[in-house]
Amino acid sequence: METIVALGIGVLTGSGVWLLLRPRTFQVIIGLSLLSYAVNLFIFSTGGLRTGAAPVLERGVAGDLAQQADPLPQALVLTAIVISFATTALFLVVLLASRGLTGTDHVDGRERER
Amino acid sequence: MDHLTIAPIVVPLLAGTAMVLIGDQRRTLKAALGLASVLALLALALVLLRLADGADTEAVRVYRLGDWPSLFGIVLVLDRLAALMLLLTSILGLAALVFSLARWHRAGVHFHPLLQFQLMGLNGTFLTGDLFNLFVFFEVMLAASYGLVLHGSGTARVRAGLHYIVVNLAASLLFLIGVSMLYGVAGTLNMADLAKRIPTLAGEDRALLEAGAAILGVAFLVKAGMWPLGFWLPTTYAAASSPAAAILSILSKVGVYAVLRLWLLLFGGAAGASAGFGGAWLLLGGLLTIAFGSVAVLATQDLARLAGASVLVSSGTLLAAIGAGQVAVTGGALFYLASSVLAIAAFFLLIELVERGREVGADVLAVTREAFGEAEEEDLDEEEVGVAIPATMAILGMSFIGCALLLAGLPPLSGFLAKFAMLAPLLGPNGGSVPFISWALVAALVLSGLATVVAMTRTGINAFWASPERAVPRVGVVEIAPVLLLLALCLALTVQAGPVMRYMHATAGSLHAPQGYVQGVLSAPPSGSGEGSGR
Amino acid sequence: MPDAMLLLAIVGLPFIGAIAAGLLPTHARNAAAWLAGAIALVGLLLVWVLQPTVADGGVVRLELAWMPALGLDFVLRMDGLAWVFAGLVTGIGLLVVLYARYYMPPEDPVPRFFAFLLAFMGSMAGLVLAGNLIQLVFFWELTSLFSFLLIGYRYQAAAARDGARMALTVTASGGLALFAGVLVLGHIVGGYDLDLVLASGDRVRSHPLYLPALVLVVLGALTKSAQFPFHFWLPHAMAAPTPVSAYLHSATLVKAGVFLLARLWPVLAGTDAWFWIVGTAGVATLLLGAYVAIFQHDLKGLLAYSTISHLGLITLLLGLDSELALVAAIFHVINHATFKASLFMAAGIIDHETGTRDIRRLSGLNRSMPFTARLAMVAAAAMAGVPLLNGFLSKEMFFAEALWAPTPSQLIYDLMPLAAVVASAFSVAYSLRFIHGAFFGPDPVGLPRAPHEPPSWMRFPVEVLVLACIMVGILPAATVGPFLDMAARSVLGAATPPYSLAVWHGFNLPLLMSVIALAGGVALYLVLQRHLLSGVEGPPLLRRLEGRRMFERTMVFLSWRLARSLEGLLGTRRLQPQLRLLVGVAILAAAWAVHRRGLEPGNLAPSGADPVLALVWAVGVACALGAAWQAKFHRLAALILLGGAGLVTCVTFVWFSAPDLALTQLLVEVVTTVLLLLGLRWLPKRVPVSGLDAATAARRLRDLAIAVAAGVGLATLAYGVMTRIPPEILAQYFLERAYTEGGGANVVNVILVDFRGFDTLGEITVLAAVALTVYALLRRFRPAPDSVGTPEQQRDQSAHDAARPDRQVGDTAADWLLVPSVLTRLLFPVIGLVALFLLLRGHDLPGGGFAAGLATSIAVILQYMVGGAQWIETHLRLRPRRWMGAGLLLAAGTGAASWLFGYPFLTSYFAYAELPGIGAVPMASALLFDLGVFALVVGATILMLIALAHQSVRGHRSVPRPTATPTTVRAPAAVGEE
Repeated sequence: METIVALGIGVLTGSGVWLLLRPRTFQVIIGLSLLSYAVNLFIFSTGGLRTGAAPVLERGVAGDLAQQADPLPQALVLTAIVISFATTALFLVVLLASRGLTGTDHVDGRERER
Repeated sequence: MDHLTIAPIVVPLLAGTAMVLIGDQRRTLKAALGLASVLALLALALVLLRLADGADTEAVRVYRLGDWPSLFGIVLVLDRLAALMLLLTSILGLAALVFSLARWHRAGVHFHPLLQFQLMGLNGTFLTGDLFNLFVFFEVMLAASYGLVLHGSGTARVRAGLHYIVVNLAASLLFLIGVSMLYGVAGTLNMADLAKRIPTLAGEDRALLEAGAAILGVAFLVKAGMWPLGFWLPTTYAAASSPAAAILSILSKVGVYAVLRLWLLLFGGAAGASAGFGGAWLLLGGLLTIAFGSVAVLATQDLARLAGASVLVSSGTLLAAIGAGQVAVTGGALFYLASSVLAIAAFFLLIELVERGREVGADVLAVTREAFGEAEEEDLDEEEVGVAIPATMAILGMSFIGCALLLAGLPPLSGFLAKFAMLAPLLGPNGGSVPFISWALVAALVLSGLATVVAMTRTGINAFWASPERAVPRVGVVEIAPVLLLLALCLALTVQAGPVMRYMHATAGSLHAPQGYVQGVLSAPPSGSGEGSGR
Repeated sequence: MPDAMLLLAIVGLPFIGAIAAGLLPTHARNAAAWLAGAIALVGLLLVWVLQPTVADGGVVRLELAWMPALGLDFVLRMDGLAWVFAGLVTGIGLLVVLYARYYMPPEDPVPRFFAFLLAFMGSMAGLVLAGNLIQLVFFWELTSLFSFLLIGYRYQAAAARDGARMALTVTASGGLALFAGVLVLGHIVGGYDLDLVLASGDRVRSHPLYLPALVLVVLGALTKSAQFPFHFWLPHAMAAPTPVSAYLHSATLVKAGVFLLARLWPVLAGTDAWFWIVGTAGVATLLLGAYVAIFQHDLKGLLAYSTISHLGLITLLLGLDSELALVAAIFHVINHATFKASLFMAAGIIDHETGTRDIRRLSGLNRSMPFTARLAMVAAAAMAGVPLLNGFLSKEMFFAEALWAPTPSQLIYDLMPLAAVVASAFSVAYSLRFIHGAFFGPDPVGLPRAPHEPPSWMRFPVEVLVLACIMVGILPAATVGPFLDMAARSVLGAATPPYSLAVWHGFNLPLLMSVIALAGGVALYLVLQRHLLSGVEGPPLLRRLEGRRMFERTMVFLSWRLARSLEGLLGTRRLQPQLRLLVGVAILAAAWAVHRRGLEPGNLAPSGADPVLALVWAVGVACALGAAWQAKFHRLAALILLGGAGLVTCVTFVWFSAPDLALTQLLVEVVTTVLLLLGLRWLPKRVPVSGLDAATAARRLRDLAIAVAAGVGLATLAYGVMTRIPPEILAQYFLERAYTEGGGANVVNVILVDFRGFDTLGEITVLAAVALTVYALLRRFRPAPDSVGTPEQQRDQSAHDAARPDRQVGDTAADWLLVPSVLTRLLFPVIGLVALFLLLRGHDLPGGGFAAGLATSIAVILQYMVGGAQWIETHLRLRPRRWMGAGLLLAAGTGAASWLFGYPFLTSYFAYAELPGIGAVPMASALLFDLGVFALVVGATILMLIALAHQSVRGHRSVPRPTATPTTVRAPAAVGEE
């Protein structure tokens, strides 16, 4: 399991970084999304991978790490998701504005002179 | 139970919220609200400074959010460093806001709430004692700063803003990776607790922990603009509207703050096997940053860009000084931090006034006109800029000289004493041998000063003397007042150098010996009488 | 003690006066002059009052705490040497003020001039009275600054600008060197206090860092005193008004350097290094300056070079290892100040009354201004070292030293007298030139003004100074004797040698040398007559050696060309390299950290792989790679693939027992995709270009390598973390208390709204800030010209509709979307309910405010998709900003409410309430908080979505414009604006 998730994280990161280094704004935004998936998984993984141990308690029963997975990383990931959602939206709008103002979708706002 | 410690976060939050609810059209109301808020923040900062500088040298005030034990909940920690940063933030906030009232706050919607959120983010960053919460406040601060950088729109800003945003998003991802690794290995998010656990860490975990710390460090150094991670900085700062740039001048110091706080806390002398982790890199990176910054300062004729480059110089200076890892030098660095933040902010505000009515600054004006010439905003022409004050050029010139002296570290303003405060302990008046790297730092500081002198003289002469029949710009009192205020503060730093320096040394002392901090946080008592109702 | 306070007054008054003068109206020249004069006079009197105290070796000291932490106090200290210099500063200052009152043209903004002059006076006084080295540097730089402002006083003239800039650059650089040197000195002696430093000469000279300290300090001195090779700035500083030259460039500023050398003489002097550095510079300057001075055509230029040469003489004297030489040096400082100041003033008078300073145009002024001529002649004679004038005496002493002072090398010892004689022969020659050229010969022709005597008060200062020259020349012991003695003793103390200030020492070698020099000088002048009259610029032989041009060239190279190329080399303004560096540095940093310790395998055995998950991830990997592959040319495909990767992430979350994450991730997924879809329309069409050049291929390869490295790195770290025993303390604590103390069964949600509610508060603030930014930005949104037109399909449909008479434009689209639109309109309340459900149960089961908020906004955006923007905006009026405000207010308010109960921010309170249908609902204060989150998320998301969606409505309404002059189109009333 750990191996699979680790590999998954690796591939997501790899493709994300590749896109991050591309010249077109759309590529960059896709890359950032992929990267945020990878990072979310990474944060999540720090709590350890547990199956069938959702940190949802029965009424009135105090939970125990034996039955439930570590809830903290999940909470952190939730916050991270929200923030990355917000920033993605912002970046999208900025790249549209840049495209509108500069006429190009190059990350530098001007085509690279060759 | 007094809630002073959290007030610097709640006040701007509420003010910003109110502004969101107020309609766009009612700018005056928003401006009044914002003014009230920043003044309140200033008062708060002063009170907190007094509290933090209490008789007990190790006094830290801990605020347990939700009344959870500091180990498990989030805590706010007020110590001297935090108080100092709060004060600087509120001063800059005041200056930027007042300056913006002349015209900038009309250049686009939502300037006022964004400024409030910006202040909230900054204050939170300085107060929080929790690593992940630090991330959250970094994001608040950044989100607001994106808005402020783009405030006024226009091609140049959007272009620069895009770079700024992408770089910072990437840095934030690094931040997350670093934090989660620290949690995964050390099993806590509380900074103090982390500091307590690191020495006891097993050898095989140490590699991961330090890897996490290194990644975290990179995230901070991007914010601080260390070479080669800070190329975005001058461009962004130069493109931003002057009030925004003034605020940004402390934003770049946030990265420095994080290094100062976390590096000394987690990898200080008490960190066992990890003590002093990465210090050499800090020093080296700082030196390189100074070098590059000086080169960039020389390589430009454009005032705004020059200011941006000098931000790099000051960041590099601070990083190098911190990396030196000596208490007294850190104290000097703190003095320098205060001085340079004020100076650079003043300079950014001044630049717009100088460029106004200059052919050279035409492009800048074009950008602003582009921003102003909108159907939905009132059309802003020069006439709107209050009454032109007499002897404008003389005042502008003197202010410019003041900024130049501060940035170059020449007397009589605080820049000179700041450099002295770093260099004197670096060489140590004891006749003993001095390591080469210290000499390098001395040379770097002196030479960067020289570069700044040359560049400032050149640009200053071009701006004030060489353009014969330049139109005397119309400058509103509310615009020049903040500049003069900031410069006056720098003068005050020089005159009151004694007490200020004592404070800074005390701060540096407790940063280098954080036991007091750790104890204070971990042994924070529950505030409420007994447990909360319903518990 | 009063004396100490007097010191403070001497330094402080000029600055106060400067401010006062600065505040005077522009043309209040008399007021300004009176003010400046009064202050200078008071300063002089104060100095005079202190004389008795200082006379018998006493030292007046004032100490104020400044930076005790760094052993830096504000110390003013007056001993003999300081007294003499303070006297010069204030005394000459007074005369110059008087002179300037008449010299400066009335139309000038004179108050500014006097303000700078006073400020300079204060800085200079502070410099000579400085009681510790740091403070000395402090005032040193101040003098540089104010001299800059004084030289640039007539900044309309390019010469003034360049001269000022050059002077500042050179002297300020020297000042920085001095700063460094002083720091080293302080490091050696363990303090900056002057007394301490002066007391520890031996320690300094024997310290390994002596040489660096010496070089740095001397650099400061040489630049300030215009010594070779830094002499070139002084002639160009002549662009300053003549009073400034008379003050700064004869008596004060340029003397600061020699003052420093004399001040630190007991500490630094007496070594070979000292002799070689200081002495060599001195002798070179002495000869060079004197030689060049002969060939100047500008009176002030001539005086400037002669000043350089005389300063060289003083420096040389200080460089010699002999107490007598030091006495001679101080003596010559005084004498030079008197005769050079008066000569500058005389030159100024000539300039003022004739309108030119060019010797080639001047002549025969002896007849038109006889009195001035007499004065000038006396002063010039003193400069040339004619007997019975003060210059003669110090020159005699100089000759004596040149003859007998010990030097490290025999050769130098032999050459020294020769150099001395030659130099003073030159000085005789240029003095002659000054006098003969200006005052003798035929009447001048074609002068701008008819020459005549100046107003008598303008001449008065010259008279005073010339009188001083004569008095000192005839009765040295009686006049200057005691002061010189004071100064010498204050430096040398007990080691002060016996010396006699007599006019007549009998026939001896120095006298012979004087005679030779005088004769030689006269002869030289006669020989050079023709050459000089020919009026060629610049001195023979050295015409090439133009200090200024070299300086400018180096400056332009270093501070401009080199800097620019370096910036280009070491930096970039493009984004991709920056990101490359960012990622690269991060990878290296982590790798370095791991490598230092070596990454041992984790202590936890990895659990066996489940084929299903493996399969899922095979898809995920394919999606990720596909997205990376397609993002350039097939954006839609990439978007879908991205969604695929996201879904796989969701599955993983579900798999590993994180339902909340899965739910949220899914909803975010949907919204993000919608956002991106809305954005796609504005991006340019891109058609694949076949074939790529080698450079591009190489770049891609490098990026690929970085990407792979990053992937492998993070995978490794993740594996390393996962195979370690996960942290327990916090998890256990939260699980135990989530229900009992947090009042919720869904631990994650309890953490979000209670344990770490503060994070959530910050997080929604981020959302709010972003939404505001997005809105502000989109108000100004302008589509690029090429994406303004309506999309293809729409055009086709419209065409199709237009073609048929029975159809209206847009019908086709309407037909297509009929069913879904009806459905979604029915769906709207359903989704609303779901959202409410998610919200309420959130505290106990997966869900919560954020998920609910997203669900709601999805409902709204669905309406948009099927109904079209106009329809929605007419049918339901949304107030996103109100939602946001309310949400933030609610969340923050809930947090603050706990203050009322005396608990910290965000302390929660809870109880359960039975709600029909939903069952027991936790009525925790946390729920209110969550409600706030919900409202804000709805507001923010809708604000962003609508603002973006609306662009397409107005997009093709806005006419394309060139990007240079942007215009924006109003956002709809529905969005934000109320």
